[in-house]
Amino acid sequence: MNAKANKNQSSCIEPSYYQAVTQAIRTQAVQVLKDGTVAGVVGYLPGRRKGTARPALITTPEEAEKLIFSPACVNNLSVYLTKSKKGVLKQGRIGIVAKGCDMRALAGLMGESQIKREDLFIIAVDCAGVYGSRAERSESVTEANIARKCHECTVHHPEGADFVAGAATELSGLTPLEAEEMARIEALPQAERWAFWKEHFSRCIRCMACRQVCPFCYCEQCLCDKNRPQAVENSPRPAGNTAWHIVRAMHLAGRCGGCAECERVCPMDIPLNLLNRRMAKELKELYDYEAGLAPAEKGPLNQYKEDDDQSFIK
Amino acid sequence: MPQIITEQNLRNLIDLLVKESKVVVGPKQADSVVLYQPLAAGSELTLDSLPRRSAKELFFPICENILSYQRLDGKMQVTDVDRSRFPETVLIGAPPCDAASPAILDAVFSWDYNDEFYLERRRKSTIVGIACTQGDDACFCTAVGLAPDTDTGSDLFLTPLKDGSYACKAVTEKGKALVDAHARLFGEAASADAAPFAEQGTEKLDLVKIKKWLEGHFEDPLWEKISDICVGCGSCAFICPACHCFDINDEGSTEQGSRRKHWDACGFSKFTNHASGHNPRDVQNKRYRNRIMHKFKYYDDKFGRTLCTGCGRCVRACPVGIDIAEILSTINAKQD
Repeated sequence: MNAKANKNQSSCIEPSYYQAVTQAIRTQAVQVLKDGTVAGVVGYLPGRRKGTARPALITTPEEAEKLIFSPACVNNLSVYLTKSKKGVLKQGRIGIVAKGCDMRALAGLMGESQIKREDLFIIAVDCAGVYGSRAERSESVTEANIARKCHECTVHHPEGADFVAGAATELSGLTPLEAEEMARIEALPQAERWAFWKEHFSRCIRCMACRQVCPFCYCEQCLCDKNRPQAVENSPRPAGNTAWHIVRAMHLAGRCGGCAECERVCPMDIPLNLLNRRMAKELKELYDYEAGLAPAEKGPLNQYKEDDDQSFIK
Repeated sequence: MPQIITEQNLRNLIDLLVKESKVVVGPKQADSVVLYQPLAAGSELTLDSLPRRSAKELFFPICENILSYQRLDGKMQVTDVDRSRFPETVLIGAPPCDAASPAILDAVFSWDYNDEFYLERRRKSTIVGIACTQGDDACFCTAVGLAPDTDTGSDLFLTPLKDGSYACKAVTEKGKALVDAHARLFGEAASADAAPFAEQGTEKLDLVKIKKWLEGHFEDPLWEKISDICVGCGSCAFICPACHCFDINDEGSTEQGSRRKHWDACGFSKFTNHASGHNPRDVQNKRYRNRIMHKFKYYDDKFGRTLCTGCGRCVRACPVGIDIAEILSTINAKQD
């Protein structure tokens, strides 16, 4: 499921590319529903508002004819597969439309025994990118409106799927915004770094959208919902907010596949993916490990090896 | 000719009110989002976008202490919050979909129990509403009985004019008092040509018909169909001007701490979870049904009002694109 060499690079992705992907998804989804390969398909349907899209659980070939893929198909649909969230897998083998970043979550969930490969029919998208939060929904995808995470995407061309819709198109020479922002923050004195996060966390309203869209937040009892004893303050105040976001970042270390859904859905624009990126960097440096690149792998924090670095024990 | 205030004088008014030690709250940029925040000066007022959270937090804060406790000499001392210290507050720049919400919420906060935290803040506040000139395709205030120029809930209502100034209408005595106390900032209008109001993309809804359908369809396949993608966060409820559920938590130690009241949301799986472990709304579609029922049936049954102002925030913010305006249209179109 990792990157291959780039094929066609351009400065703008035309709507026709997304239309071609849409057509391929429809044909494949209709077929697997008709021949009984799957009981349902998790994909995207158009929203009421022009240029929007939303997740949908499709069970008939007729509905599958309406599936789309557009730059508004931002959701990571793997969130619908785990038991504690929606548990659609109980219906039988399920088809799922997945971008490269979403496939990293699928791989991670397989590694954590939350889903089985044989229960899925993966309709992967050879993804050129999706809209960022402030995009006009009628425009072609360009560097100006593409999502921040897509600037540094290494998984445009997914591997290991049952079917791939589309063929290798991507924007070239994108500025790595997140990496630059991460470097900027890391270079700040500690007090300023603290002030940066304090300001962001002070806006948190604890709507838990970050947790609820996360494929890896599948705990049936979240530590942060407990009140006997209370581990993290439930009330939306700076101390509890900070504790919550740090607990979450730690819990996702070595697991987060980088879909950045937590950041996308935050109604208060807290740059949560920076925390996840920072944890991913640690894992890369300490264990030369990147989460979700191969299915059914065990992360370094989920296993013990005798030659693990133990220098931190003092 | 009606009274007007120029944009500069509106900002000057804020400066004056701040000098008078009033708390002035209005839309203000905070990083990439605009929020209702205390303004230190008139120059901080931002009138070109709808704040990400509604104005309800002025009266019903995200989180507030309702008492504190401390063990002193072996005895527990409980201290109430001194509500007389809540400041006189002027809210400036709320569009109709936000200005209307406190008037809707007054009923529930003064019903079987007078919530003095909410009511004291309401008594001490003046709302300067402003007609809306910039809706988008998520807005649906006209569908739920409001309009971009509705002055419901405002004490003083401003209508943007083409020349950049604002026509002023004192809707209540509080609004009149605000104008009278700062009369020199207000002038006579040369013309009263209003700037075009915001346009909306949704048809008008028959709220009576929708309520009637809800009465007969507590059990209906629609609930599962519309909420099968809901991931159960509280985003829609928290940014809503009308949602008002709250939770109360004691936080601290056995020696000292606080009792806190903070926003709750019917989307959460723990919402209405009983101490026994039983939850009458055990699956997401029952919780989503509660959201629609509460807004368009229960609140109307009890208080004769619809618990939605059509601001469209939930439509814009829902992580999975659930669109309440679309759901209402679907119900509106049903024959039985």
